[in-house]
Amino acid sequence: MPWNLKSDRPIYSQLIEQIQQMVVSGIYPAGAKLPSVRDMAAEASVNPNTMQRALSQLETEGLLYSQRTSGRFVTEDAEKIMQTKNELAVSLIHEFITKMNQLGYDRQQTVSLLGSVMKEEEQNG
Amino acid sequence: MDSILECRNLTKYFPGCLALNSVNLAIPKGQIVGLLGPNGSGKSTLIKLINGLLTPSGGEIDINGMKPGVETKKIISYLPERTYLNNWMTVQNMIDFFGDFYADFNKAKAYDMLQRLHINPNDRLKTMSKGTKEKVQLILVMSREAELYVLDEPIGGVDPAARDYILDTIISNYSENASLILSTHLITDVEKILDGVIFINAGNIVLTSSVDEIREKENKSVDALFREVFKC
Amino acid sequence: MLGKLIKYEWKATQRIFLPLYGLIVLFTLINKAFFVFNFDKTSGMALVPFVITMIIYCVLIAATGIVTLVVSIQRFYKNLLGDEGYLSFTLPVKPHSHIDSKMIVTLIWTLLSIAVAALSIFILAVNSDTVRDFSEFCAAVGRFFSQYGFQAYGLLIELIVLMLVSVLSGTLEIYAAVTVGNLSGKHKLLAGFGAYIGFGVVEQIVFSALFNAGKGFDFTGGYGQLSFDKLPFAAFAAGFGVLILYSLVFGAAFYFFTNWMLSKKLNLE
Repeated sequence: MPWNLKSDRPIYSQLIEQIQQMVVSGIYPAGAKLPSVRDMAAEASVNPNTMQRALSQLETEGLLYSQRTSGRFVTEDAEKIMQTKNELAVSLIHEFITKMNQLGYDRQQTVSLLGSVMKEEEQNG
Repeated sequence: MDSILECRNLTKYFPGCLALNSVNLAIPKGQIVGLLGPNGSGKSTLIKLINGLLTPSGGEIDINGMKPGVETKKIISYLPERTYLNNWMTVQNMIDFFGDFYADFNKAKAYDMLQRLHINPNDRLKTMSKGTKEKVQLILVMSREAELYVLDEPIGGVDPAARDYILDTIISNYSENASLILSTHLITDVEKILDGVIFINAGNIVLTSSVDEIREKENKSVDALFREVFKC
Repeated sequence: MLGKLIKYEWKATQRIFLPLYGLIVLFTLINKAFFVFNFDKTSGMALVPFVITMIIYCVLIAATGIVTLVVSIQRFYKNLLGDEGYLSFTLPVKPHSHIDSKMIVTLIWTLLSIAVAALSIFILAVNSDTVRDFSEFCAAVGRFFSQYGFQAYGLLIELIVLMLVSVLSGTLEIYAAVTVGNLSGKHKLLAGFGAYIGFGVVEQIVFSALFNAGKGFDFTGGYGQLSFDKLPFAAFAAGFGVLILYSLVFGAAFYFFTNWMLSKKLNLE
């Protein structure tokens, strides 16, 4: 699974998002044990300190927790995961709305265009 | 001692040229740092001073609190830009050589890396292409369990696949007791693995920062910032 | 660490010398066979192969001297001042260890080369005629040592020391010259050669001064003339002593100079 990191945004914040997505999408489900910092850094081809920073941040936020001898785990708290999923979704939507506004669509046009595109996708299977 | 490398007012001049102008610098342990600057900026002078291949004209340089000498050479693993391998030995001979002189050399690691890169230890260095020799050199340097790695243009002459392998090796080799200084022109490829960067120009340190700080403050990659700062 | 440097210096050089010595052994045997079968006494076309092998043999003998010199220079230059210098000078050894290991190995090859050449010539030269002369010579030497006992051995030891010190001193002179030559950008060989000649000139001056100072010294030890029964060992010993000292002083000067250059003034490119 490729890590998609852009070059003009801080790496650690991108790592946070990507890990959040992996948790929310079930790649790292609730209670799962995460690989070591070193392994995750190698997979993402990033500096281990940067990866450590991202993971620590996620621990502070409560999405991950670590046990001294056993390693790092995803929280078992399903609500927390739901909340994160929500936050990611909201953030995406904000981005979408901003971009639509930049194109010149107002709120109503955006909602209606969204509806028709979704209907089309449904019909095409 | 939290810094693996410290430079205090480090100065070096050659006849007709001030290569390093009172440089002040401290690199903590457990960091991967990029030394970035155009040709003639003083990068290689600094690297040679770290390795004891040049003596300072003024100021001081410490590696783990020690002056460059036999003891620092034991803990520094250096990959120069040029090929320093002779041509009469086989790869195997070279591994034995490193094992003989460096107590921290890990032969098993070296053989493993050779295998991954499909290099036969019984081949004579003489028969190898430049690219393969560079890989051998890199393997020898990364197989040491050193406290400071100094890599001068490690990915310059290598194909993209090998480049990725090299960067991954650097990452997986990481230890919080060791630091790595990387000097390169190929900033884009290397940015993600760096903790911080040092921009150097005409013998002066122009900028010292972490990679993420640059991206946050300037909203651009280190590569983009470099191009801006060093515009011709 | 010095031992390890010597080991690798040996490995790097043996691949040139051992085959060379092998060829000398081969041609010694071939030419010896020719002698034994009296080919040297034939004439005309039958002589040709023998002439060829003898020429090759002479070239080989001359070559040993040249090869020893060239290898010594080349090892020093290539391994310390060329690209390999980046490896050599980042090894955890002091710069002087590099000088030590190379000069020791050069000494060993010099002695071996001399021994191989001498032995080979001896093998070719010895036959029923010369054997007699040779054993007479050996007997005379034996008489000399038994007559003069420890004085003779003392002199022999001095001679050996003089030889060793001279070779080392000469090698160091070459290293110093190569180091100076390397300072030049484009004319390293020329500059090195010039430095060597320069050193030679200085040595000549010192040697002449010594010689003039020693002119009054009576080397016959008061005996007026040299004869086998009244050898002035003290005078000889003093003479050798002065020569040894001379070589030591110059050798030390070249050593410290080269070491200083490699430690403080190293600038690899």
